Amino acid sequence: MTVTSFKRWPWLAGALALGATMAAGPALAQNTITIVRELDSNNYDPHKSTARAASEVLFMLGDTLVSLDYDMATIKPGLAESWTVSEDGKTYTFKLRGDVSFCDGKRMTADDVVYSLKRWIDPETKSPVRWRAGPVEDIVAKDPQTVEYRLKAPFSEMLYQLTQSFAVVIDKANVEALGNDFGVKGFNGTGPFCWGDWKPRNDMTLKRHAAYKWGPPIYENRGPAGVQEIVWKIVPEEATRLAAVMTGQSQVTQYVPFSGYQVLRRNPQIRVVESKEAFWTNFIGFKLDKEGVSDPEVRRAMVMAVDQAAMSKNLFFGEVEPANSYISRDALDWNKEIEGKLPRTNVEEANRIIDAAGWARGPDGVRVKDGKRLSPLGYSFSAPQFRTIMEAVQGDVRKIGVDMRIQLFDATAGWGKLATQEFDLFALSFPYISAGDALNLYFRSGNIPSPNRMNFRDAGVDKLLDQGMTAVDPADRAKAYGEVLRQVHEQNVWIPLFHEPMKVAASNRLAPIKAHNIYGCGLYKGLDLKFVR
Amino acid sequence: MRAALAQLPLRRRRGASPFLGRLLRDRLALAAALVLALITLAALLAPWLSPHDPFETKPIPFQPPVWAEGGTADYLLGTDGQGRDMLSRLLHGTRLTLLIAVLAVALGGGIGVLVGLFAAFYRRLDGVLMRLADVLLSFPAILLGLAFAAVIGPGMGAIIVALAVATVPDVARITRGAAVMIMGQDFMEAGRAVGLPDRTLLWRYLALNCMSSVFVFLTLRFGQVILIGAVLSFLGLGARPPAAELGMMASQGRDALLFAPHISTLPSLMIVLVVLCANVLGDALRDTLDPRLRNT
Repeated sequence: MTVTSFKRWPWLAGALALGATMAAGPALAQNTITIVRELDSNNYDPHKSTARAASEVLFMLGDTLVSLDYDMATIKPGLAESWTVSEDGKTYTFKLRGDVSFCDGKRMTADDVVYSLKRWIDPETKSPVRWRAGPVEDIVAKDPQTVEYRLKAPFSEMLYQLTQSFAVVIDKANVEALGNDFGVKGFNGTGPFCWGDWKPRNDMTLKRHAAYKWGPPIYENRGPAGVQEIVWKIVPEEATRLAAVMTGQSQVTQYVPFSGYQVLRRNPQIRVVESKEAFWTNFIGFKLDKEGVSDPEVRRAMVMAVDQAAMSKNLFFGEVEPANSYISRDALDWNKEIEGKLPRTNVEEANRIIDAAGWARGPDGVRVKDGKRLSPLGYSFSAPQFRTIMEAVQGDVRKIGVDMRIQLFDATAGWGKLATQEFDLFALSFPYISAGDALNLYFRSGNIPSPNRMNFRDAGVDKLLDQGMTAVDPADRAKAYGEVLRQVHEQNVWIPLFHEPMKVAASNRLAPIKAHNIYGCGLYKGLDLKFVR
Repeated sequence: MRAALAQLPLRRRRGASPFLGRLLRDRLALAAALVLALITLAALLAPWLSPHDPFETKPIPFQPPVWAEGGTADYLLGTDGQGRDMLSRLLHGTRLTLLIAVLAVALGGGIGVLVGLFAAFYRRLDGVLMRLADVLLSFPAILLGLAFAAVIGPGMGAIIVALAVATVPDVARITRGAAVMIMGQDFMEAGRAVGLPDRTLLWRYLALNCMSSVFVFLTLRFGQVILIGAVLSFLGLGARPPAAELGMMASQGRDALLFAPHISTLPSLMIVLVVLCANVLGDALRDTLDPRLRNT
């Protein structure tokens, strides 16, 4: 990558812009950490938002029964100090810690846990992530310290799902007092930080929970938190966020543009912390019943036309891992047997495949069959990363005569547009814990039209997903999900693009931190955040 | 009487030559005209002048221009974030930007002139047409662009319609103002007295005599339309990728401002240049055609 010689003034512009927005308030004390990020959530109700922006705050505001280790595979204690699973895999019994209290000082009991989990699955809550709670039969408090979670059928993902922010314990009295303003004007949780003040699309201030001492064992500091206050500051412009980190106005963030890491690594004041696990995958999905892309050979050719390695190296500065699999190969239940069979970039072969499928090049170079031009319409978001992805894929498939059209939407309109049947392909990225987590989300026919935006309908796959989900033996689960992985890869339902490893840029005024990858929230509970100078 | 009317000099025939004469004397206007002509010619010949395919992505993104460290003569103005040749995209982008502006000004100007003329000629329509123009005037062009993009989807169509609609009320008001003055002239009364049909009076005498002020306004408006069009494209409401359009190109380069500023600054400079030239030319035209400024 060549860097031009005149590169100083954008820094100044970015720093000035940031200064104007940040210096407006009073000078922040040494024990306040400012984290810049791109987007805000529309609310902080754990059952009503699927946004990463909500989860990264909720992990700090609340706690879950169990926690997830940095390896993204090992379940560790959380609010429950121990748990047992019945032999049939249908009953989970959690033994709670006795020393947990909410931010308002009230003691947390099994009733609070039951209320929280039942609100999650209550049809009235209309939670978009209700399915993550599994096929619940009932959740009961056996005594103030014991919760029994009964399922109608085994759910192999159960404990992993219970580590997510959707499963944080909330306070019934607080929810009822705030009504629709719960998670908007306040939130009484048991997390290492308490709700301070939220100015939507501007900042979210969290205050230290002084009584906190029940953090997950993956942290050396189990509580209370090392800083008095955390300010999550919304800075939409990439260059301005980078300037904020460079100038020390933000001490830690995972929202640095890919182009900025090279600069940050050369800066002695900053360290870039990386997590090996890249459980956040970017992909293009095909709507399988749309003309043109419904042809499996067209999809195969398009998959082979895309050069993921060049995309990673040239457009994302080598900071992402090129992907030819739909999930990371480090993810739980990945099928190693299909690795050798995954399509590789080969434009010549892609042209041959699409020729053989009867799509001939027209006078303008675009493929035509039976009078129909191969001109699929792609939807995605207007955020820089998706725009880059869409244009790169557009350029790549143009080499095989596919005239891909692009329509990009702001996040506010984009999710609605992506739930329609208007488009032929779409670009998205998603976090997952395991193969089962990813596959159940995207490939169940019951999840059409969203999140199964491909309209992928296969009774055999649905059956395998059921088998995987209800498997009691991990080997059976891996076998079922492995087979689904084989089938969806074979059908070229997606074009996998890259896996995004978690990278966090932190000031060296902070003690060393470790990057987590849970739901793409690099700071997880923030218990390792503290100033050392 | 009809013969006498036929002798009435039409402003149309006098407009061009003093303008050219003045243009040749005014060095700034001449320079602006030459630069604009050159840019327009380059834009028109873009498919033949472009050294590379403007849509072809290559594995050489963010390559700087030839004068910067790391630049090569193969890509005189460097490449963009997808490895596409900046010079070729700049030529095609200018072409598309000019096309959008010309279409929007022609469409909006045409409708505006009609509205203004009818309002002045048929006085009973005046109130309704001008109130409609007032309503349109209360919508900023960017808001109109957003509204049209929401209704017909983002793209060239939405941007042209939005810019044209935003142009209509201004042109209608200016045309009406000029036309109302001309309606009070003796020759219009005389035309009516000898029984000339409305069509002849409207087009041959009223319209042609209003044209100078409308033309000046449209020339100045051309620059504004390019600017607003670029803003709409910058916001993602205009041309769709991989098409090249100056506003969109400036927007795409925003993320690389830190290490590849040429991607954003080159199309921005082109916008500045075109708008500046259009404004200087518009000013010169106004100076020539406005009798109060003609001798200053």
